[in-house]
Amino acid sequence: MSDQNLEIIVGEGTCGKAAGSLAVLEAFKNLAPTAKIRSVGCVGMCHQEVIAEIIDGAKKSFMYGKLAPKNIQQILDFHRGSGALPTALLLSSTDSPQLEGGLYLKRQTRIALRNVGMLDPTSIDEYIARGGYEAISKIIKSKMAAEKVIEEVKISGMRGRGGAGFPTHMKWTFARGAEGKKKYLICNGDEGDPGAFMDRSLLEGDPHSVLEGMLIAAYAIGASDGYAYIRAEYPLAVKNFGIAIEAAKARGFLGSKILGSNFSFNLKIKQGAGAFVCGEETALIASIEGQRGMPRIRPPFPAIKGLFESPTIINNVETLANLPWILAKGGSEYAKYGTEESRGTKVFALAGAIKKGGLVEVPMGMKIREVLEEIGGGSHDGSKLKAVQLGGPSGGCVPEALFDTPIGYATINATGAIMGSGGMIVMNEKTCMVDLARYFLEFTQLESCGKCTFCRIGTLRMKELLTKICDGEGTMEDLGKLEDLAEKIKTSSLCGLGQTAPNPVLTTLKYFKEEYIEHIKDRKCRAGVCKKLITHEIMSDKCTACSICKKACPVGAISGTPKQLGSFVIDKKVCINCGMCLEVCRTDAIRVF
Amino acid sequence: MEKSLEANVDPSLILQWIKKIGTEPSATVPLLQEIQSTYGYLPQKAMDLVVENSQITGSQLYGVATFYSQFRLKPVGRHLIKICHGTACHVRGADKLNTAITNDLKIPKGQDTTNNGAYTLNDVACVGCCSLAPVMVIDNEVYGELTGASASKTLSRHAKNSNETIK
Repeated sequence: MSDQNLEIIVGEGTCGKAAGSLAVLEAFKNLAPTAKIRSVGCVGMCHQEVIAEIIDGAKKSFMYGKLAPKNIQQILDFHRGSGALPTALLLSSTDSPQLEGGLYLKRQTRIALRNVGMLDPTSIDEYIARGGYEAISKIIKSKMAAEKVIEEVKISGMRGRGGAGFPTHMKWTFARGAEGKKKYLICNGDEGDPGAFMDRSLLEGDPHSVLEGMLIAAYAIGASDGYAYIRAEYPLAVKNFGIAIEAAKARGFLGSKILGSNFSFNLKIKQGAGAFVCGEETALIASIEGQRGMPRIRPPFPAIKGLFESPTIINNVETLANLPWILAKGGSEYAKYGTEESRGTKVFALAGAIKKGGLVEVPMGMKIREVLEEIGGGSHDGSKLKAVQLGGPSGGCVPEALFDTPIGYATINATGAIMGSGGMIVMNEKTCMVDLARYFLEFTQLESCGKCTFCRIGTLRMKELLTKICDGEGTMEDLGKLEDLAEKIKTSSLCGLGQTAPNPVLTTLKYFKEEYIEHIKDRKCRAGVCKKLITHEIMSDKCTACSICKKACPVGAISGTPKQLGSFVIDKKVCINCGMCLEVCRTDAIRVF
Repeated sequence: MEKSLEANVDPSLILQWIKKIGTEPSATVPLLQEIQSTYGYLPQKAMDLVVENSQITGSQLYGVATFYSQFRLKPVGRHLIKICHGTACHVRGADKLNTAITNDLKIPKGQDTTNNGAYTLNDVACVGCCSLAPVMVIDNEVYGELTGASASKTLSRHAKNSNETIK
């Protein structure tokens, strides 16, 4: 069977691979060896992985989701005209754009993500075919003044997408004017917020956009050397970015005398080694220099005195990926999206208790509710959404009542959370807000570099107080102590890690105080999460005595005789409330209270 | 722990890496990464060789090795299991995976590797597969949308395929 007119595109990001995309790719190759088969990055619909798109001879597109090797024959049969359309697998198609997959993408405005999921990240030709390296070529060939490049970015209104939102053009102007024989440009790909994966998808799925963005930034500030600092936990990102560097060198886009001009830029990858604090600029610099990743006192700011004492600019991955688009289309084109104070678009990683998790890019100004409900499809198990955590451990929880807040730096700050790098972790009624605050404090306490006393010990004390409350041993005075410590940690820490560490506690105390009080006064956890405050019990009227829970229990707390109805009970003295029985029970016979 | 887990360090390899990566302090992290990617941990003999043959001092080297969570000074089992504790995984019940896997592996208290040297269990901050939460990684293979029970099954399948016994 000849399939030469078929183009098959399989998503091969980390999430696709985790869902089994390699086996699906193999199946396509075996069953349709003559078709044109390509691998691309993650299109963003991670909840539907494995995803494949088929473009037929009539240039019609069909996108399929939740694929396994066993589905492939059925799909090929349809495209060969010998079978029916497998509608259960279809996410969207040219003829039915109203399907779920089409709508997921339709509500988005993809600028930073313009190529992710569209091209083979290991092919520089595919990037060039989609307009890649046009912006930097235009700049170099027209001998555009660096000031003009900076001006264009100023017009675009771009603010750092790493979280702090500092205007990109201002940072560049400082470095441009700074004295120094050598200047450095660093790409910050140390995406440390647990629950964020925007930068991973960009580096994996469209490394050339980030690389071209680095060239533009280096040209603007006059940098000759650069580093891409990428988390070691992202092996595919490291690999694809490395391939991109080699390809760009071979084509004369990278190295000395780029495209025959006097502009030279040498770029190396530095792998992070697992330290959240290295997302902070001065700590990241210390890490590249080979030291413990501890922040330094500012001023001097890195733009004046950074890596190896030279002027250094650190830009986030997403900021950089936007630059080729901005320089190619013009800053004013980018500024058309978004709001007065927050221009353009923002990429968010949607995860947690959400139905359709994945990557979304939306114009600033869109309401949080639209992202969560219209794109994300609401709670994954149908229960009510309770809050969304923005900005990771440095951010805060925005309660459902404030979901109509438009997305923007100032509007989100007003809620007590921060825009952050783009993690959106959704909570529903099964999330305990006290446990969540404890979780974040545990994280920041572990990741504190230890330099500032309040960050080092204060976060530990806060974590202890929160653990006490989760265990049902807290007092009302503890709430005051938490607020007091939060204030002191914020004001006496050197870097962003300590200054923002108390935010998850402060926002949950502000919006969900009643949950704290319930833990303290009633010794109750309404979400059923805090193990010392809950009880598991078998309801004998629903139990079928199948014995599956008894087998699953790790501590042998369940007794009963198989097939003898009513014989199964949980020994509360032995039970550790791990919930394994609840998970395996097929008849919902276990209740938690 | 079995003696066999201790790595047999080849000095010529270490010297070769120092030559390739550099002797100055900025080479510290890449050197440690190279050593760990080969031996699975940082053997003392390799650390000694770096100190003797570079400008990096012992205090700098150990300072860096103990600062970053990627590095470990103890030998690692033949297979490494990482359970993700990113926020999404936490909200979707990552602790159930811990309960199940810990129960299966019966790792002695205070250690992270099974007595037979087969598996090492680590908690990690976030592997970036948040939409597939909760997630577990065995030897760089990511398994998503797990429950305690399915994590258990995944582990026993892995053990069977790699001729390991779970104890």
